[in-house]
Amino acid sequence: MNLTLTIVLVIGALIVFLGIVWKIRKAELSIASSVFWFLFTISLLLLAFFPQIAYFFSHLFNIESPSNFVFLYVIAVLLVRSFMDTIQITKLHEKHNDIVQEQALASVCPPDPSSDGDGGDAK
Amino acid sequence: MNPHVLAIIPAYNEQDSIVSTMDSLKRHAPWVDCLIVDDGSTDATVAICQEHGFNYVSHATNLGLAGAFQTGMKYAHRKGYDYAIQFDADGQHDAQSIQAMLDAAVSNNANIVIGSRFVTVEKPKSARMAGSALLQAIIRLTTGQKVVDPTSGMRMYDAEMIEFFANAFDFGPEPDTIALLMRRGAKLVEVQVTMHERTAGKSYLTMSKSIMYMLSKSFSILFAQWFRGNK
Repeated sequence: MNLTLTIVLVIGALIVFLGIVWKIRKAELSIASSVFWFLFTISLLLLAFFPQIAYFFSHLFNIESPSNFVFLYVIAVLLVRSFMDTIQITKLHEKHNDIVQEQALASVCPPDPSSDGDGGDAK
Repeated sequence: MNPHVLAIIPAYNEQDSIVSTMDSLKRHAPWVDCLIVDDGSTDATVAICQEHGFNYVSHATNLGLAGAFQTGMKYAHRKGYDYAIQFDADGQHDAQSIQAMLDAAVSNNANIVIGSRFVTVEKPKSARMAGSALLQAIIRLTTGQKVVDPTSGMRMYDAEMIEFFANAFDFGPEPDTIALLMRRGAKLVEVQVTMHERTAGKSYLTMSKSIMYMLSKSFSILFAQWFRGNK
């Protein structure tokens, strides 16, 4: 792993860190969802300051160079994150659907509170 | 005892055609109750419904066809209807066909009746119908049954299907969900109906989206739907 990649990682981590702080101050990012990004920033710094980690894993997985492991790590983390976001969007979409439908039906035929599964079910 | 039938009419910006559609329903199928589901229209659709005293409910935002259809199914379920039919607001569907579809549903004890364009009429071999033919072949492959007009938007559902659609997650009135329900044992029949060209307004599905639609529905039937649970 060369010095350039180390510098890029540190600068990248710094930018992400400033972005998180900026959005928290502007009340556009909740503390709960900032945790992932803080941890991600820390992991970038760890990889930058302790290249042994990248060497260890690239050796373990038979990856040609440690920098390739760094790329793989970042891609994998972001893919998982993206998948989780898709699930989150689906859930929000379903809740939004339900709210709009129930609001439309509220004055005509509100859901029967004794039956389950019908209406207001957030799963 | 006559079965109670609800016509669910999803309407998104249908100010130019909703009145004639409702007139046609009242004239040709007066025994059918109607529910217009305004899907967050930005034109005068709601004002027209109020003015004419139509039975309607209104979405605060636009959910799309599947969301509007499900609102209608929730209504039908809660009001205890025996059958619900999805009826286009744009004048494509023919109110005179509803009786024949109901008769077919009752006499065959069917769960789903498709108002089909191609039971007695041969499907034209046009580019537009290539997608329909593809879906027909895929449904044949996966269910072993023949559905000649899988993309027809005119479908009637019985009380069992109404309850299912009212509570289901991510079940739009589409060919892929119909195919899944058939695989799970729903009984489907097709009845020949006449369909008209749109009289006004814009379709949910533009031509440019048609190819993507066919591809995603095909993939859905062949692959993705198999993994569903019971909800």
